[in-house]
Amino acid sequence: MERAPAQPHPDYPLLRPIENPGRTFYYIVGVLLAILAYTGYVYVRQILFGLGVTGMAQPVTWGFYIINFVFFIGISHAGTLISAILRLSKAEWRRPITRMAEVITAIVLAIGGLHPIIDLGRPDRMLHLFYNGRLQSPLLWDVTSITAYFTASTIYLYIPMIPDIAILRDRGVKPRWLYEFLSWGWQGTERQHKVLDRAMNILMVVVIPIAVSVHTIISYIFAMTVQPGWHSTIFGPYFVVGAIFSGIAAILVLMIVFRKVFRLEGYLKHIHFNYLGILLLIMSLLWFYFTFSEYLTGYYGHEPNEMRVFWYKFTGAFAPYYWAMVTCNFLVPVILLGIRKFRTITGILFASISVIVGMWLERLIIVVPSLANPRLPYPTGIYIPSHTEWILFLGGVSVFILGYMLFARFFPVISIWEIEEGRHESAKMVNERITSYMPDPQPSSAQE
Amino acid sequence: MNQKWIYRLQIFSVSMVWVLFTGIAVWVFTLIRESLRLRDAPDASVGISIVAIPVFFTLAAVLTYVFIGLRKGRRKDVEP
Amino acid sequence: MKWGMVIDLQKCTGCGECAAACKLENNVSIVEPTEAAMGRSMLWMDMLTMYEGAYPRLRVRQIPRPCMHCDHPPCTKVCPVRATYKNEEGIVAQIYPQCIGCRYCMAACPYTVKSFNWYKPEWAPGIRKTVNPDVSTRQVGVVEKCTFCVHRLQKAKEQAKHEGRNLRENDFQPACADSCPAGAIAFGDLENESHRVNQLSHSPRATKLLEDLGTEPKVIYLKEVD
Repeated sequence: MERAPAQPHPDYPLLRPIENPGRTFYYIVGVLLAILAYTGYVYVRQILFGLGVTGMAQPVTWGFYIINFVFFIGISHAGTLISAILRLSKAEWRRPITRMAEVITAIVLAIGGLHPIIDLGRPDRMLHLFYNGRLQSPLLWDVTSITAYFTASTIYLYIPMIPDIAILRDRGVKPRWLYEFLSWGWQGTERQHKVLDRAMNILMVVVIPIAVSVHTIISYIFAMTVQPGWHSTIFGPYFVVGAIFSGIAAILVLMIVFRKVFRLEGYLKHIHFNYLGILLLIMSLLWFYFTFSEYLTGYYGHEPNEMRVFWYKFTGAFAPYYWAMVTCNFLVPVILLGIRKFRTITGILFASISVIVGMWLERLIIVVPSLANPRLPYPTGIYIPSHTEWILFLGGVSVFILGYMLFARFFPVISIWEIEEGRHESAKMVNERITSYMPDPQPSSAQE
Repeated sequence: MNQKWIYRLQIFSVSMVWVLFTGIAVWVFTLIRESLRLRDAPDASVGISIVAIPVFFTLAAVLTYVFIGLRKGRRKDVEP
Repeated sequence: MKWGMVIDLQKCTGCGECAAACKLENNVSIVEPTEAAMGRSMLWMDMLTMYEGAYPRLRVRQIPRPCMHCDHPPCTKVCPVRATYKNEEGIVAQIYPQCIGCRYCMAACPYTVKSFNWYKPEWAPGIRKTVNPDVSTRQVGVVEKCTFCVHRLQKAKEQAKHEGRNLRENDFQPACADSCPAGAIAFGDLENESHRVNQLSHSPRATKLLEDLGTEPKVIYLKEVD
């Protein structure tokens, strides 16, 4: 087998983080591992003493863990939208973004999927879900659909990575055995390209309904109860829209970070941010439409229990969080993204961070107020998250950052072969496509 | 590590995927059987779960197709 | 056979004896004051206080609230491991070794009747001696709730079988019904016409909590007459 020496590569900036990681990488990994060690300790305390170490109580029996569960899984829709939908619609500008988005999905699904386990009072009995699971429970539907989405998105991340892994193998990057193992004998022959294309075509279609089902089923955990504020038919689409919304914001933040840290200005151009920024704006308007619809319907119906939850969010104890959510999810993105002058990379960064915060607040506002306002005359519940819950939240975010950094250390975050394909073939393919749209030339026997 | 071991490891990992997905299918099937016995799950849940099993096998099939396809599509001068 | 309860609010004085008797009978853990202030006290039978109107026409209603043992329980629908289920006699039961502590049933119950063991239940040495040997103590991390004193039902059934007869109305009364000094709580088989609960359930004063949700609770309240 030929071994190419480490030659300059046209896309060297994409390979540099792998071949030349630099010392900062190790410092940051060290800090993250320290945070994770402390998170582990805090979690062990929770296992030893019980869920009493959290801030949950009757009636607010679900708190940060369920909020973060929904939040992390929501962000996973970044991958589906960019990879699957943009690939399906043959949008050429997706090429530098697909890999980053798919990695977000894979990591964040793993973190989100662990959160219900952290929330269990008896995680040692987790296997009961497998021996005696009950199909009638939305939690069980959730386990199935998240497993399906996690496997689908991991496979959908891995298969388009194969040609890039082969590039690393051929350049002799260490650990060589890893790249040999993962590249599955890729040589870039025409037959292999056909196989890859066909597989990717199947996957990008299969992954979309799975992704939509995942967040719909998560919404069913709430919507299938009769609690005021939860038992709403709009929850399915509302959650999916919210998930895509937070997913786009997450991918934008990551793009901006990597562009700065890895000096990828040549790959992530203003137009990419512009397009994604406009998509984020559209999602913000869609989110606002769903939210408005949900609350107006509740208010107009004026059912007493619904109204108690409504006022609790609008003017009661949760009002600061509610209006912060509306500001973060609607006012800030619409202003920063709607006005062209503000739609710069900095503006987009602020808008995206605002959306991520706002969507976390939305999950908080969905979970806690309905629980805090029981139908029977109990005192309104108060939920104050404890140290344990904050640290586990921080731990979840740290796992995400660490996972991403480890990925970026061993694999390119921008798909090198797809960029190459774009350079050589996109113009021709797009040209052919556009020519096919044009009206046919007039036949010579047309009447004058 | 030489080529033979890497090849064996690859075969092993792909077969593990099949084992995992078969395990998931068996589990979903057990869930369906239990809920039919107790007769208290909405029919929609049972139906959707029945759809879930082929989804897993489709994914495993695509993965296997890529593995076999990539090996067969290599240039003839490479030793297996 | 459908076990049900009728609570006569005209007779109920709000003394709370039922709540205390229930805790003692069922080995319900007594939590620390800081925990209770957070809302973690475990009351299988709770005493709800409703305030109506304003001074000087203020009215305070005390309503004992056990588990409703609904015929269409929202809690059993959502349990992922069948740790809570409705048995053939209409009792919504809780299987402690099966519960994984996901607390979905607690979130789904519209009456908020379930309690959770946030910490390992402990009893001070004196109270340890009063632990009821007929009722299993629960561990940390599981959900529990009123069971209509099903352990007393077990004993009554075994006694009846031993004596070769059917269960009589007064063989089995939950601790709350037993202990109520005003006799406000009646318990029995709602389907058996000779039982008092069956007759009382047809009273014009009979009402149920949150009836319009369709949960079909089996605890019937007799409204106060002014």
